[in-house]
Amino acid sequence: MRASINWLKEFVDFSLTHREIANTLTMAGLEVEGLEEIEGDTILEVSVTPNRADCLSIKGIAREISSILSLPLKDVAVTPLNEEGEPPSINIKTPQLCRRYASRIIRGVKVGSSPQWISKRLESHGMRLINNIVDITNYVLLETGQPLHAFDLNKLAGGCIIVNTAQSVNKLLTLDGEERALNSDMLLIWDKEKPVAIAGVMGGLTTEVTSSSVDILLESAFFNPISVRRTSKTLNLITESSYRFERGVDIEGIVYALNRAAQLILETAGGKASKLIDKYPKPFTPKQIHLKLSKVNKIIGINISSSEVQDILGRLGFKNKKKDEEEIIVTPPSFRQDIIRDVDIIEEIARLYGYDKIPPTFPVVRLQPVGKNIRRGIIATIRDSMRRSGYSEVINYSFLNPAVFDKLRLPSDDKRRDMIKIRNPLRKEEASLRTTLIPSLIDNVSFNIKRGEKSVRFFEVSRVFSHSGQKLPEESMRLAGAYLNMPLSLWQGKHEGFYDLKGAIESLFLELRIGDYSFTTGDICEQYLHPGKSCTIKIGSHNIGSLGVLHPAVSQAFDITGDITVFELDLERVLSYIPADIIYKQLPKYPYVERDISIVVTEDIKVSDVNSAILSVSSDIIESVVLFDIYTGHPIPKGKKSLAFAIRYRAKNRTLTDSEVDAMHSKILNVLENSFKAELRS
Amino acid sequence: MIEDILSIKTLAEEDVKKADDLGTIQSIRIKYLGKKGILTDRIKSLSSIPKAERAEYGCVINETKDYIERIITQREEEFKTSELGTLLKARHIDVTVPGNFVPCGHNHPTSNVLEEIIDVFVSLGFRVEDGPEVELDYYNFEALNIPKDHPARDMQDTFYITDDIVLRTHTSPVQVRVMERDKPPIRVIAPGKVYRCDTDVSHTPMFHQIEGFMVDEHISMGDLKGVLEMFIHAVFGANTKVRFRPSFFPFTEPSAEIDIGCLICKGRGCKVCKNSGWVEILGAGMINPRVFEMVGYNPESYTGFAFGMGIERITMLKYGIDDIRLFFENDKRFLEQF
Repeated sequence: MRASINWLKEFVDFSLTHREIANTLTMAGLEVEGLEEIEGDTILEVSVTPNRADCLSIKGIAREISSILSLPLKDVAVTPLNEEGEPPSINIKTPQLCRRYASRIIRGVKVGSSPQWISKRLESHGMRLINNIVDITNYVLLETGQPLHAFDLNKLAGGCIIVNTAQSVNKLLTLDGEERALNSDMLLIWDKEKPVAIAGVMGGLTTEVTSSSVDILLESAFFNPISVRRTSKTLNLITESSYRFERGVDIEGIVYALNRAAQLILETAGGKASKLIDKYPKPFTPKQIHLKLSKVNKIIGINISSSEVQDILGRLGFKNKKKDEEEIIVTPPSFRQDIIRDVDIIEEIARLYGYDKIPPTFPVVRLQPVGKNIRRGIIATIRDSMRRSGYSEVINYSFLNPAVFDKLRLPSDDKRRDMIKIRNPLRKEEASLRTTLIPSLIDNVSFNIKRGEKSVRFFEVSRVFSHSGQKLPEESMRLAGAYLNMPLSLWQGKHEGFYDLKGAIESLFLELRIGDYSFTTGDICEQYLHPGKSCTIKIGSHNIGSLGVLHPAVSQAFDITGDITVFELDLERVLSYIPADIIYKQLPKYPYVERDISIVVTEDIKVSDVNSAILSVSSDIIESVVLFDIYTGHPIPKGKKSLAFAIRYRAKNRTLTDSEVDAMHSKILNVLENSFKAELRS
Repeated sequence: MIEDILSIKTLAEEDVKKADDLGTIQSIRIKYLGKKGILTDRIKSLSSIPKAERAEYGCVINETKDYIERIITQREEEFKTSELGTLLKARHIDVTVPGNFVPCGHNHPTSNVLEEIIDVFVSLGFRVEDGPEVELDYYNFEALNIPKDHPARDMQDTFYITDDIVLRTHTSPVQVRVMERDKPPIRVIAPGKVYRCDTDVSHTPMFHQIEGFMVDEHISMGDLKGVLEMFIHAVFGANTKVRFRPSFFPFTEPSAEIDIGCLICKGRGCKVCKNSGWVEILGAGMINPRVFEMVGYNPESYTGFAFGMGIERITMLKYGIDDIRLFFENDKRFLEQF
């Protein structure tokens, strides 16, 4: 709401500077967001919260200033009009949607342009100039907050007004030349034959006041806020008028605004005003609210006396009567529809008392342990672990473009394609909620490649959303990561993304004390991964995610050159496998013996298979098997590789003898020879 | 005879002096003191010396032997030391080659600030709670005293899934969910993602908020001021200016917005604070009795405060970041600064 200082001063005489008045209003809840100097005046840009419909006018803001500064509010008196002739007939068919309708006819006006003092003010308050009649309705709207409408009387069939819903009428041409599609329950203004305005939103084109108009009908009414709001929302049409009606105008100020407009029209456009018609079937009854002084002080945390409270209420125009030392009966004025219960009054007291004067205190509470959010703690650990492994955290929007699944080559029946859809997305690319974090991470890598980055390690922890069969979707946590490396320095050795990410995941499992995990191949785990460089991640026998190099076709679809490795884990599953307690195991009493074994096998033999074959020979005595070398090349024959393991032997109850270990070692070699056609490397 | 010994001593001295490496010195030892050494030979022949002279002669030989042993050992040590020196010099590494380590990754700046804020409130005994991001209209609006068709809904542009299901526009629904489940006293903070159908230089359709609230029998607005001032001083520094001014939120009454003195211009006026010297960082207030009624609390028995803040905004102020979109672009050069 824009408000001219000069205009405000017509209602309240204040001597504060522009900056001071801006600050005063801000500190009382009417935030002044800007000051604009225009010739001979300053305009305040006031942000009015939705509860303060009464401040959507110059008079309203002036009234607020008078309350805050304890200054008298000057009313602009409307001189009695020289009434001549009968008022129009007004018929309210829907009194629940139109609680009051007042009108006068003004005959013999001279439509033209507005006098300069009106046009200047309208322009500085962001209003378009139309003609003197319409301009005056806008002027009064700004001044009093009451929207008015002027019809060309001679274009109203029967010269009368009927207030009724649209019913079977489904369109209306409005003042802006747009044809509006109507709903049956929208409230309209009708003449004897046809609808002529969308009540409280915008007038119709056929009855508009033009330069040829001579007689006009002025409307000042109270339309139901919810009805106006629904209509305005449905039509996607917000006007100065609808904005005020949906917040609630002062039902008791309707006749004043009508008369003020009539007076200004007579002064500037001539004509004669008819008698007043004021249809007001159920007049306003003021509320009575009981206010307890102890509650005021308890909620605000101050110690204010009842006379101070009464002073503040008086300044606000709230009638009040002291019932006893403890209780005041308060009657808020008609323009304060937002005051419903005692706390609303308490806020008013706090506001005028000054929030800055409330002493800051610390609550006195019973000491109690803070319940630990275990899940949060684990997720923090996961983020830390990834970070220590060299991965930086990214945060992406939860939105996803469904088209991305084709790029990812996901089968048409993949569950992830079945996303939760947003009805009103900002862009169609952001129309659904993520079911996987992978596409966002690929995009992040691609974004950074385009900026010249050659090495990227990213991870994200976030929720994904899926249909649950319940009312709300299922939200579950995922951890995903991406790795890109175009090596910068050869001396660092070759970092393969797969093993880097695998290491990060293993380190994470170690930190979470999850032991029973494996990286397995077999079925193709994800269509978007390279079939030869990918695996399923399992804990026990449950799939909990996948890891692998992006399929070349997918990289191409994302316009990426170079290998990207990605993984995604279902954190809900991971969380369920974290052991709750640590149970101490006895330290071994007897020493271990370590022997290396070096074998040559064909290249397709998997390290993990050899590893478990060794362990299976004697789970009692073989304590650990650690791969320490993989070698191909001379003198190993083509198509073969050499694997070297360090095997640690230990018995629980005795020191192993050399001959026992020798026997076990050759047994292992036998097993490897039989299972893998392994040869001992000489 | 004694002269003979003394001349051996002189010869040995000369040999030791002339020796130029460890090998020579070792052969000198053998030459004089070895099994067949010159001096050893003299000691062996001691028995053939007449008894009367034997004592004196023996004494001289022994002294000489000790003496030669000493100068040889001394020289030997000198060679060993210098040889080690040469060895150490020969085997050096280039200490300026970069170390071998996995450079640690970085937390997202939003996470940093989120965790910092959570820590402050946890230290005050607030519990951390979560809630769904896809939320019922009831929890996001209705139960927070924002009925359908109320203009207050315009304060938050909402993404809808269906008529009754929205992407939560704030973390406040967690308030309602927690209060429906637990009885006072309650002290909770609820961090998380929220969504608004809005995008421009200062708005993104998704951002992070932290909601906090406290309900007990005697919570006042003064307590709200005390707790939030303490929080602001903990996060932005003890000298940060704070002001509370009236505002409106349907779920609090009285409501307040909290500004801090602009950290960028120190209150002199700049683009960030729109020349006002103040930047808004928090919305807060005393929980509206309507909300208590909705969750089944008796509003005459309990009072409470609630507050909410946008994390990206606070992060921007804290680190001097001037474009909110940077938070979601995930540019490595940006992320690695935190």
